Amino acid sequence: MTYDTDVQTFDTSGGEVLLFSIDDVIYGIEIKYINEIISYENITVVPKVPQYIKGVINIRGQIVPIISVRRRFGKEDIPPDERTCVIVLEFDGSNQVGIIVDRVREVTMAKPENICATPTHKNVNANHYIKYIIEDEGGIKLLLNCEKLVLELDK
Amino acid sequence: MAKFESGMESMVDTYIFETTSLLEQLDQILIKTESESTFGEDEINEIFRIMHTIKGSSAMMGLENMSHLAHAVEDMFYIIREDKPDISDTRTLYDLVFTASDLLKAEIDIVQDEDTPPTDFSEHMRRIRDYAAVLKGVVSAPAPAAEKPAVAAPADAGEMVEVLTSGGAGYTALVTFEDDAVMLNLRALIVVNNIMEKCSSISYEPADIENNSDTADFIAKNGFRITYTPVESSGAEEITEIIRSTTFVKNVTTEQLLAVKSVPAASLTTVKVMFEPDCKMENLRAMMVINNIRDDCEMLAYYPEDIESDQATAQIIKTDGFIIRFRASIPNEEIYRIIGETPSVRSVDEINHEIHADTAEERPEMAEGQSPAAVPAAEAAEPARTGAQPVQQHQSSKKHGEKKQSLISVNLSKLDQLLNMVGEIVIAEAMVTSNPDLKGLKLDNFQKAARQLRKLNSEMQDIVMSIRMVPISGAFNKMTRIVRDMKVKLGKEVDLVFEGAETEVDKSIIDSLNDPLMHMVRNSMDHGIEETAADRIAAGKSPVGKITLSAYSSSGEVVIIVADDGAGMDPQKLLTKAERNGILTKPRSEYTDKEALNLVMLPGFSTNEKVTEYSGRGVGMDVVKQNIEKLGGTVSVDSKLGQGTSFIIKIPLSLSIVDGMEVSVGRSIFTIPINYIKESFKLKPNQLLTDTDGHDMIMIRGECFPLIRLYELYELEGAQQDLYEGIIILAEADGKSACLLADGLIGEQQVVIKPFSPLLNNFGVKQNGMSGCSILGDGSITIILDVSNIITDM
Repeated sequence: MTYDTDVQTFDTSGGEVLLFSIDDVIYGIEIKYINEIISYENITVVPKVPQYIKGVINIRGQIVPIISVRRRFGKEDIPPDERTCVIVLEFDGSNQVGIIVDRVREVTMAKPENICATPTHKNVNANHYIKYIIEDEGGIKLLLNCEKLVLELDK
Repeated sequence: MAKFESGMESMVDTYIFETTSLLEQLDQILIKTESESTFGEDEINEIFRIMHTIKGSSAMMGLENMSHLAHAVEDMFYIIREDKPDISDTRTLYDLVFTASDLLKAEIDIVQDEDTPPTDFSEHMRRIRDYAAVLKGVVSAPAPAAEKPAVAAPADAGEMVEVLTSGGAGYTALVTFEDDAVMLNLRALIVVNNIMEKCSSISYEPADIENNSDTADFIAKNGFRITYTPVESSGAEEITEIIRSTTFVKNVTTEQLLAVKSVPAASLTTVKVMFEPDCKMENLRAMMVINNIRDDCEMLAYYPEDIESDQATAQIIKTDGFIIRFRASIPNEEIYRIIGETPSVRSVDEINHEIHADTAEERPEMAEGQSPAAVPAAEAAEPARTGAQPVQQHQSSKKHGEKKQSLISVNLSKLDQLLNMVGEIVIAEAMVTSNPDLKGLKLDNFQKAARQLRKLNSEMQDIVMSIRMVPISGAFNKMTRIVRDMKVKLGKEVDLVFEGAETEVDKSIIDSLNDPLMHMVRNSMDHGIEETAADRIAAGKSPVGKITLSAYSSSGEVVIIVADDGAGMDPQKLLTKAERNGILTKPRSEYTDKEALNLVMLPGFSTNEKVTEYSGRGVGMDVVKQNIEKLGGTVSVDSKLGQGTSFIIKIPLSLSIVDGMEVSVGRSIFTIPINYIKESFKLKPNQLLTDTDGHDMIMIRGECFPLIRLYELYELEGAQQDLYEGIIILAEADGKSACLLADGLIGEQQVVIKPFSPLLNNFGVKQNGMSGCSILGDGSITIILDVSNIITDM
């Protein structure tokens, strides 16, 4: 299956970004992918799928698979607390996927001048989960490539 | 730019639906006649009618290119029907018609796409006309009409003659002049003089134009009406053209006269046909009625007349009915029956014979050039005058009315909505009846009412499902065409055999089955069946290959098998190939034959050395697999080297709702469709056996079944591992049985299957025996197990 990983014009025009954190690192997701943010609730386990897929949840009658971003980044899951959130993303207009994050922070405006490209060294960002790096007065944020993060299968 | 005439948009659906079914009908006829190598009169007539209808409706929609192409084919069959030429080159004929049918189908597909310009069919039309000219030449070499089939318009006129009369060829032309023209009587005279030599007879009104200048005013007001019969060498078109080119002539309306002049009016039967109130395109439906009865009538006239070209007549027919006068060569009752059976006809009322005494005078007048509008006026008055007949009229109307109204066509999306709604109701019902708030309460009356509700809901479900069921034969029949085309191209002799084509499947499944079936049939034709008949004979098989499409339903599933009796596949070859393409995921030696066969359904696998027009690009079977999985089904391959290959598709019969038994395993809840469960029980020590490899088996009434521990299968923690504490469920699928170990039974419930998201499908949840999820009454999710997959994959 192929997905459109076209970077569009985000690097030239900037845009709104939802920030969340895992451990102490701040990550961002372009707002256009985001459907809603819900609190962490009971996840129904689906057997025999990779570990980073935690299971499925019921969002108003829709069965939505849930991905653990921690697992995706090679970290161990931590027990959910009241700040643990599920960000529900939508692809291709219908395909919904939720991602579990430690905590959601804020929505910020990424200005074009603050957006830098990721290094291209073969050992850095090898799985290309990071699309851009945003650096502004609030610090450094890693903008994630949602399609890669969510839809690309583990090799 | 919209392709349709304005105001036609609302009819697009109807038009597409009707034209598509007509084209399918056409294919069926062609394939049948081709295989029987006979071309009966009925078939020719049928093709002629199909093309005629397509021509008419396309023209009405403003789709000129389609209309013209249909017209060309119609012309060709007109020649075949009328002249009955000895067709020696049937191959060309079939190719021409099949291609025309394909072109029309392709055009229908893009007809709603405003960006795509209408396709130019002139090349194919030229070929058809060339061939038609050849046909024509076969029967009447020196005929003056040799060029006739190449010209669209005259053919129309010829047809009209046939429709209306068995003799006589009179026309009436209503001529109007420019507003600023003077001395209209003299201008009219010029017109008459101009066409005089082209007409064998001519009369006009007013008659005394030459010496009465008062007629000028009359002409200015009412127009000038000429009634003429063209000489044999010229047609009405030519004369109309002459009139039109005369100075100061503004407009000419030419109508063909009804040649009823010589017919005693009383010998004609008059009927009024009413159509279903919402059927639309009444004029074309009226045309269909006329087409249907045309051959059985010696004499035929109808009002409104220009139904084919003037869509405004639809409104007249809708309000006043469609009036047909005829003298039939078969009993009138037969004609009523034929009319009554035409789609969308609501009623056929005979208008009493006796009233022809009244209208008898009107007929000759009409023939002399009165406006045909006199007829409906008279007819409209008739029912009032024919008090003697109302009973019969009423009855016949009622009879047809009942018959026709028992069938309606419904937009599929509405049925989809209905089905979704029923699914939601089932969930809502569960939310109410197994509401946690009710736990521990003793509610006898509530339970009684809940049972009643459940019963009604399940009946409603059955009805909704049955509405959506259609026989699979529709999908199968489409394959005949593909096989036919490929037979010709590949030079292979193959019989296509259907089994169980009457099996009923959900409509949405049928629609999504077309593509996968087509891929598989192509595969079987191209790769399955041996290259040459000699190969087959050498293998000890009949030289004619056989592809079997079969369907049957078994325990909530429809099984569709595409089987060929060709060379079969060699698992070792497949493995070698897969290895070379780098798509093996484990060491080659670990693949079973079955797994090796299923490699053909992986993306990027193609065993055929060369890419052909039909298959070999390695995209076929994985697309099939994806499409079937979208429907919640599975595909598997079975092949015996030298004996043939079968593709087995299994699709849940009802797309969405199953009766399930909920079982718990650890913290998970699974639903097992109840039709797979034979029994459930607690294990007794004397039932347990262990084989030499340590596998457990369970003995039930003298039969031995393998044991599958669900917690082990799905690697679940916290589950009951003690065989004697858990519950054993004996399940059967596809003739195989096995015992499943679960922690406990929760209860029986109807669940609505929701498909897994594409993300999960990527990880092969289907292959691991999970067919979908469902939402339970408390909002939690249960995973529905695909028992047949679990059992057969052991």
